[in-house]
Amino acid sequence: MKAIIFDSGVLINLSMNGLLYIIEELKEHFDCKFLITKEVKYETVDRPMGIERFELGALQIQNLIDSNVLEMPSSRGIDEEKIRKDTLLFLDKANHFMQVRGKWVNLVEEAEMSCFALSKELTERGIDNLIAIDERTARMICENPQNLERIMSEKLHQKVNIATEESDIFSKFRFIRSPELVYAAYKKNLIHLKGKKVLEAALYATKFKGASISFEEINKLKSM
Amino acid sequence: MEEVGHIIEVIQETKKSLAGYDSIKLRELSNQTIHNASAHQDVGCITLAVLIYTLSKLVERQDYKRIKNWDNFVKKFCSFLSLAVISLKEDNEKKYIDYLERARKTFNSFSVNLKPYIQEVLRKSSINKASKIYEHGISMGRTAKILGITQWELSEYTGQRAIDDNPYNETIDVVKRAQIALEFFS
Repeated sequence: MKAIIFDSGVLINLSMNGLLYIIEELKEHFDCKFLITKEVKYETVDRPMGIERFELGALQIQNLIDSNVLEMPSSRGIDEEKIRKDTLLFLDKANHFMQVRGKWVNLVEEAEMSCFALSKELTERGIDNLIAIDERTARMICENPQNLERIMSEKLHQKVNIATEESDIFSKFRFIRSPELVYAAYKKNLIHLKGKKVLEAALYATKFKGASISFEEINKLKSM
Repeated sequence: MEEVGHIIEVIQETKKSLAGYDSIKLRELSNQTIHNASAHQDVGCITLAVLIYTLSKLVERQDYKRIKNWDNFVKKFCSFLSLAVISLKEDNEKKYIDYLERARKTFNSFSVNLKPYIQEVLRKSSINKASKIYEHGISMGRTAKILGITQWELSEYTGQRAIDDNPYNETIDVVKRAQIALEFFS
C-alpha cells in the first residue's frame, strides 16, 4: 500500500480550481490511500463551512471524506493519540529551529506538523508515503533549511540562525505539491480536458491559488 | 515586547501622516512593523500593521471625504495611539494592547452604511499583512492563525503575488519532484 498525506493548501488549491476530481481518479486507478489528519480537516472543512465564500469548497472536500476517497488516519487503524503526540513534538522542534536575535521564531502550525507525524507513523509501518503540501516553509525546513534561513535573513534584514542539531528529524520526509499532482494526473490521462494547453493551464491555476512554484519551474514541467 | 523605541516612533509618525493624509508614508510605516510581526509575532505589532495599512487605504482612496465624522474619528483614534505610547513608555504591555484594541474599535464608529465597507477594508488589510508575513518565511498555517484569517483567503491572495518566484524556494529540482510523483503512481 502507498499513501499520500494532504496538507490543507493542496486540498484548498484543488477545490478552488475545480480539480478535486483528480484525487478520485487517482484513487480509482492506483492502489493508493489518500489521508488527512483532523487538524487538516478543521482547516479545509470545519472552519470554512461557516464562511459563505468557501462553504461550497468545504462541502466538496467533506464529500470526498464521506465517500472514503479521503480517509482519516483512524480508518487505517492509526492511533489518533499517537499522531497528536508526535504533532506536538514536531511543532516544538520546528518552532525551536530558527532564531532571530536570540529568540525562537514560531514557523509552523499544528496542521502542517500533523502531516509530518502521520508520515512518520506510516513509514514506521512500512507504508511508502508522500506529503502533498503547497506552502513552502514546512517543505523548506525539511529539504533545505539553509535556503529558508537566507530568505528570512534577507527579509528581516538581520541574521537568522538555524538549530542544526534538530535538522535530522525533518530530513526523512518526501514532498510533492499540487502542480506535481496535477502533472502526474495529466500524464496518466486523468484530467477531464483535452488539448495542448491543458497542462500549462492547470499548472498556472495551481500557482495562482497558492502553490509555491515559480514560472521557471512551470516552464520546466511543461517541457518534460 | 520588541524594539519599543521603534514602535513609539512608528506610532508618532502614523499620527503625523494621518493628519497630513500621506497614504504612501502610512503604507511604509505599516511595512516597518512587519519585520517585528514576523519574527516575534507579538499581537501589538500585528494589530498596528493592520490598522496602519487600513488607514493608508482609506486615505489613498480618499474615502475620508465621504466619511462625515472623519475628523472626530482621527481625533479619537490618535488619542488611543497616544495612550498606547504612554503605556509602552511605562512598560505596560497589557495596557498597550488594550489601547490598540480600543483604537481598532473606533473603526466601528462609522455610519451603518459605511461600516461593512470599512470592515471589508480591515479584512483585506489583514490578508495583505498575512501575505507579507508569509513572504518573510512563516508558514501558511501559522500566518493564517496569527492574523485570524483562513488559509482559503491567504492561498488565494498569495497566489496572485510573486512570492514564489524567489529562487531560494526551489529546494529540489522540479523535474525530480515530478518524477517522484509519476513513479509513485506507477
